Amino acid sequence: MLGKLDRRVLLRAVAVFLVVAVAITVALSTGGSADAATGSAASGGGSSLLLQNLFNGIVFGLLLALASVGLSLIYGTTALSNFAHGEMVTFGAMITYFLATPQAVTFPLLPFEFKINMPFLPAVLVGIAIAVFFGWVQDKMIWSQLRRRRVGMVQQMIVSIGLSLALVNFIQWWMGGRPVRLTTSIDPRHQYGPISVGNVTLISMAIAIIALIGVAFFLQRTRLGRATRAVSDNPALASASGIKVDSIIRIVWMMAAGLAALGGILLALYQQGIGFDDGTKLLMMMFAAVTLGGLGHPYGALVGSLIIGIVAEVSTVWLAPDLKFATALFILIIVLLVRPQGILGRAERVG
Amino acid sequence: MSDKPVIVDADDLIAGYLPGISILNGCTMQVKEGELIGIIGPNGAGKSTFLKALFGLVPISAGTVTLAGEDITNMRADQLVKRGVGFVPQTNNVFPSLTIEENLEMGAYLAPKAFKKQLERVGDLFPVLMDRRSQRAGSLSGGERQMVAMARALMMDPKVLLLDEPSAGLSPVRQDETFLRTREINRTGVTVIMVEQNARRCLQICDRGYVLDQGTSAYTATGQELLKDPKVIELYLGTLGA
Repeated sequence: MLGKLDRRVLLRAVAVFLVVAVAITVALSTGGSADAATGSAASGGGSSLLLQNLFNGIVFGLLLALASVGLSLIYGTTALSNFAHGEMVTFGAMITYFLATPQAVTFPLLPFEFKINMPFLPAVLVGIAIAVFFGWVQDKMIWSQLRRRRVGMVQQMIVSIGLSLALVNFIQWWMGGRPVRLTTSIDPRHQYGPISVGNVTLISMAIAIIALIGVAFFLQRTRLGRATRAVSDNPALASASGIKVDSIIRIVWMMAAGLAALGGILLALYQQGIGFDDGTKLLMMMFAAVTLGGLGHPYGALVGSLIIGIVAEVSTVWLAPDLKFATALFILIIVLLVRPQGILGRAERVG
Repeated sequence: MSDKPVIVDADDLIAGYLPGISILNGCTMQVKEGELIGIIGPNGAGKSTFLKALFGLVPISAGTVTLAGEDITNMRADQLVKRGVGFVPQTNNVFPSLTIEENLEMGAYLAPKAFKKQLERVGDLFPVLMDRRSQRAGSLSGGERQMVAMARALMMDPKVLLLDEPSAGLSPVRQDETFLRTREINRTGVTVIMVEQNARRCLQICDRGYVLDQGTSAYTATGQELLKDPKVIELYLGTLGA
């Protein structure tokens, strides 16, 4: 059942990583020689800085992947580019903060404050559950209604832009303009060779990898997952085969919301705080990752996210940090010029 | 054949894609169990629309469809599949990124427990597919895709199979294969309703043909009779020769 499809996807992913690795090695050696030539104070620091940034890029790429996989699944099954997906990321982190913080919290327009102060792990689980429920509500109240009335894709996309604005403003109203921290404890960094990293980050990476493997397992090895891929391929035929397309899409929305929330929580831990518009800022990177990997291809979102993350972080070795997302988008343009269907996207045989 | 009970009964169907604009203007058809029915007619006569209306893909605004006596007018596709109706669309009839076996699994989606058994049964009809079961359907040729599409629709062991122009876009040899295979499937007891552009070949294998014109069923007769009918020859077949 696994067979050719998997092997091909894996081969392609490995090829992409090899190319990236070679590119980085080349960059590393030229960077090192430049250091040697100038004899600057940072001499020898070039390669370790590069490795550190490469590592940061992988971390960021994994977190980005959590958010983008859902975006990609939604696009695959409904053809909707969901502009409100960034807020799903913020929402996950904010709701967790709301549940876990020892400080008094409130809702907009509610005249009193209260404390929930849940322990952190249960707060994360409840937060993700609420996000999943929010995904269900969104599809139930908005997207399935629009689909049933055959509202066009561009119109739906504009609805999602409106929803995005509404949500980001709601979150700001709710949580205020300043970033919030999910935990107050400081995560001490350990030095592993040239890389310094905190335990929380390592655990976050592990959770992200497990979640992504879980998604792959679901899509490849479960009947429901294969039906999801079938809906993604051809919704009309899936329906003609007796698959309840709307239920599959509902599940996809719930999964996407849950993964985005998990991504948001881990991001908030990684960057030690999350602002009301952090998810919104991430949206462009998510679109870039999904497009780079191959639109609608779930593993494409993973590969695309890792490349975007690595390129963005590694570019800061040479370029101003303000330019890191611009560099990542520049890579997107280059890749699409060479491979219009994205890295894992397939040009289908016609006839 | 005439002593068999009616399985599909479409009565005076009025249907169209948009409200107010009907493409079918009173289509009537009675199909008996085990029949192989060919629907022919000029372009725009509503052949495919009729088939889609039977399968609930085009809304029916007036008239009724019954399946073995049960009203199935405008019924949802999954309900129809459950009741034993299979549908093979003309185009986009496979899941390209799924393997052949996964395509067939989707065909048996509503009866996962019967999947293994059905795979064996359908595999006997399409041995070529079983040899390549882990190949992606997107990499197959048009003829091979047509096979996958038919096999997928057969996975629920349907009583009625609806085929929308199964020979479209195939080479003459593959067309012949498709018609012969359709006949073979029909012989296993499946009632088949097929829409065809290739009127002559279709009528040669059909028990009965329906001629559609401007959204109405103009007339019906056995395939052999229609092949000799001067009006049909003039309008759809061109010449008397084979």
